[in-house]
Amino acid sequence: MAEGIVRFQNVALGYDGVPVLEGLAFDVNRGDFLALVGPNGCGKSTILKGMAGILEPLRGCISREIDGSPVRFGYVPQRETIEMVFPLTVFQVALMGTYGRVGPGRPVTQAERELVRGCLDDVGLGDLQRKPFPALSGGQRQRVLIARALAAEPDILVLDEPLSGIDLGAAQVIMDLIERLHRERRLTIVMVSHHLKVLREHQMVREVVWVYEGKLLRGPVATMLAPETVFKMMDAEIG
Amino acid sequence: MDTLLEILNPHFLLRNALYGGLIIGIVAPLVGVYLLARRMVFLGVALPQISTAGVAAAFVWHTYFHGHQSRDVSDFMLALVGSTILTFAVILGLALLERRGRGLGEGRIGMLYAIAGAVTILLLASDRVTEIGVLGLLKGEIIAIPDIELLILFLGYGAILILLTVFHKELVLVTVDREMAISLGKRVLVWDLVLFGIIGVAISLGVLVVGPLVMFGFLIVPPMIAGRSAIGMRNVSIVAALVGAGIALAGFAAAYRLDLPTGPTDVALAGVVLAVVMAWQSMRAFVFRTTVQ
Repeated sequence: MAEGIVRFQNVALGYDGVPVLEGLAFDVNRGDFLALVGPNGCGKSTILKGMAGILEPLRGCISREIDGSPVRFGYVPQRETIEMVFPLTVFQVALMGTYGRVGPGRPVTQAERELVRGCLDDVGLGDLQRKPFPALSGGQRQRVLIARALAAEPDILVLDEPLSGIDLGAAQVIMDLIERLHRERRLTIVMVSHHLKVLREHQMVREVVWVYEGKLLRGPVATMLAPETVFKMMDAEIG
Repeated sequence: MDTLLEILNPHFLLRNALYGGLIIGIVAPLVGVYLLARRMVFLGVALPQISTAGVAAAFVWHTYFHGHQSRDVSDFMLALVGSTILTFAVILGLALLERRGRGLGEGRIGMLYAIAGAVTILLLASDRVTEIGVLGLLKGEIIAIPDIELLILFLGYGAILILLTVFHKELVLVTVDREMAISLGKRVLVWDLVLFGIIGVAISLGVLVVGPLVMFGFLIVPPMIAGRSAIGMRNVSIVAALVGAGIALAGFAAAYRLDLPTGPTDVALAGVVLAVVMAWQSMRAFVFRTTVQ
């Protein structure tokens, strides 16, 4: 039986008290690989932020529990949102992932640092640890943010448009990486993406959730990304 | 060299002014790193001005109730209270508006800066004796700092240094990526309040000793210099503190030697150092491009 680790119960999400999405009711189950798709501004990132606790619901309840403990999130934001006046190194960015476990005022232990180095190795950037983060390419920066999320030792990885603004080759590398993490670490994955073609080509993506006109439509990849469904959704957007 | 040896002599008459400048030169840039990193530079200009308005209000208040008696420690404390109350009231108001999603609007901060400046001048115009005292502050005349003021500065800035060191990772996390901080279960509002509290204490105490111009100069210029030569918040902070200390020492020596006001000399020197670093980097980039071509 599917085990819901994140449950939206009649949730309204929005900003400044104004709802963007209302009546959201769905579960993310352990081991899911979900992709949220939909037109610009439909609320995909808002759902992701609600899921990770970044945005408090205006109404309703979002429960996050796994085996009686709070769910640990590995949040990968849109990389354009990480703007640094004083650049950090790749290692320093990834190290932030451990800060949730290390109490206030306590130094990060050597073991945690080793873990971070392992995460950077895992995403193929072990040899770029001392490079300034802004000096990397878009795809490399995305992989650093994934390593940072992994350093949080998450139960669920939530990725906000990890494929946006990078070329197709780099997008494939990142999707392969996410698939490998899902397979090897048994990580639950929820990602927002516009790259329907890339999603269609990756077998591990089990379900797709269309977000349109404030509603959610969920189903298997084959159905949800079938040309007729995509045309219907695009019609809804244009019309 | 003789000047340097003279001012470093433990029996030097103006040693408290030198020590006060050094304390502010080391700690203010550490606070300024966060102002720059959070893109709140404009707040760094406005808060010292608002703090000065608090000092002027406290002095005028004192004159109203006690007449023009000579100012002593209790006056310093009164001014500190005036400066702190006004600075914190503004910080809390701005933090509240930011939390409600209204942002740290530049227009709002600019308006506060203008009003604080006008209020300071109007308050001073009503009292000639207070005007002379606060005018010295505005000009950055750091000549005589009583032992007790130096001690309060040392304790206040010492506490800031400890807080910035102990909570470095939390403050960096909420500065660089607030959303990540929330997703990791950090109480962002608490850390924001810690940071704003540090900024408030640093400015209200610093303005009282060196005035708004010098305070702003030390908050912003050393981190700008450090940001051009170091990677990572910790390294930038260390370099900024070293640069601030160097400028405070060299500025004091130059002001003493040339009989200039210390504060503006410090700030002008900081500007020269920044210009030299920028020119050096531009030249290096030009040489690198030419070599590659």
